[in-house]
Amino acid sequence: MPVSPLHELHERLGARFTEFGGWTMPLRYAGVVAEHLAVREAVGVFDVSHLGRFVVAGAGSRELLRHQLCNDVAKLAPGRAQYSMALNDAGGVVDDVIVWWIAEDEFWVLPNGTNFGKILDRFTAAAPTGVAVVPRRDETVLLAVQGPEAPKVVEGVVGTAPGRFRVVETTFEGRRCIVAGTGYTGEAGAELAVPREVGAALFSRFVDAGAAPCGLGARDTLRLEMGYPLWGQDLDETTTPLAAGLEWVVAWDHDFVGRRALEAERTAGPPRRLVGFRIEGRRIPRPGHELRGGSSRGRVTSGNFSPVLERGIGMGYLAPPFDGSEVEVRIRDRWVSAEVVTPPFIDR
Amino acid sequence: MTIPEHLRYAENHEWAELRDDGTVRVGITDYAQDQLGDVVYVELPEVGRVVEAGEAFAEVESTKSVAEVYAPVAGTVVEVNEALDERPELVNADPYGEGWFAVIEPTEGADLSHLMDAEAYAAAIA
Repeated sequence: MPVSPLHELHERLGARFTEFGGWTMPLRYAGVVAEHLAVREAVGVFDVSHLGRFVVAGAGSRELLRHQLCNDVAKLAPGRAQYSMALNDAGGVVDDVIVWWIAEDEFWVLPNGTNFGKILDRFTAAAPTGVAVVPRRDETVLLAVQGPEAPKVVEGVVGTAPGRFRVVETTFEGRRCIVAGTGYTGEAGAELAVPREVGAALFSRFVDAGAAPCGLGARDTLRLEMGYPLWGQDLDETTTPLAAGLEWVVAWDHDFVGRRALEAERTAGPPRRLVGFRIEGRRIPRPGHELRGGSSRGRVTSGNFSPVLERGIGMGYLAPPFDGSEVEVRIRDRWVSAEVVTPPFIDR
Repeated sequence: MTIPEHLRYAENHEWAELRDDGTVRVGITDYAQDQLGDVVYVELPEVGRVVEAGEAFAEVESTKSVAEVYAPVAGTVVEVNEALDERPELVNADPYGEGWFAVIEPTEGADLSHLMDAEAYAAAIA
């Protein structure tokens, strides 16, 4: 099973590991709650080298991205980043991705680790002559530095801290370093791609500058508090962005794969819809738990403990779409009340 | 990993302490709390509940998963650690002390000989 190029460093830092998307990655170091709060209150650093990444370069790159993804990079300019999705012909989410527009004819696309091969193949097959699609996961390390103190720490280490959804290039130890004001926690900060040879040094510099090493456990509780969906749980190929409440990711002013099906669903209304909820009491909802609200039925797709609220929070789909203010979750043998919350679950 | 000599241990990582009054105090081991990660909720049995040996009588929720806790001896629950309602993290911080779960009054006298001693438990988790 692949491990991060930083695996030995993580071992020295006392990491516990988990398998995710076919990779062995740090689950936690000091503990999920401590790491979560470090990111909310100060700064943490994550190794997210399991995420996919590839370059799309050459004249025609922009048009390739516009057709393959439902958000529209034409709304941006070089030096900007965007959250987007690749859909199938039925409007289902093949993957959700981040796009970094680095230079006029150079984009980086960052799919989920699990979906890297699928999305890389799709772009490669659709690329016209003159557009190169080049994988970058083997050659680079990807880190995320997140938290209210992250901009200061990032600037101290690499000399620049781009604002939200800005992308800049700099160098670290003489090597190319791409820094983007993106992340998956709801906090300020950056994601950085550097050649793998300098990845451990960069991670260590962030730790030395005060960032708490954070694992995938905290990454999951942080994204859940923001209501950010996780592909494979809250999103999949049978789920449209409309059902997931993510119509803002769909740019209707251009043509893209899946548009026709999505238009039909927009007219008819999605057959089910994602709802967020906060449990009353201290029980913890988990993926797969039954969910009900009025006559609607469904399942929890994400659920865990919110370290900030000290409550169980979660999301799940209800069919038919439900607009009440209270749902119930079956946590083992008992139906537990939960208040419907439109994410984010915390003020940010 | 701490494994106190004076306790007895069950396969599912509960510890049992025979007390002078013949009751048995129960919790989960240091190894168990370490495997679970941050404990965020503990569901304790009601005082007065009669349990069989090996019966699931409590639950522990962590940021990672939920685990059942099994009664290491048959008997009646006579006391539970209500401090865990507000401070479930005591299970992580002090699994053999402030993080105890419940006290059971055994049905058939206080016999813990079916449980592992510290040495056997250390071997079981090695």
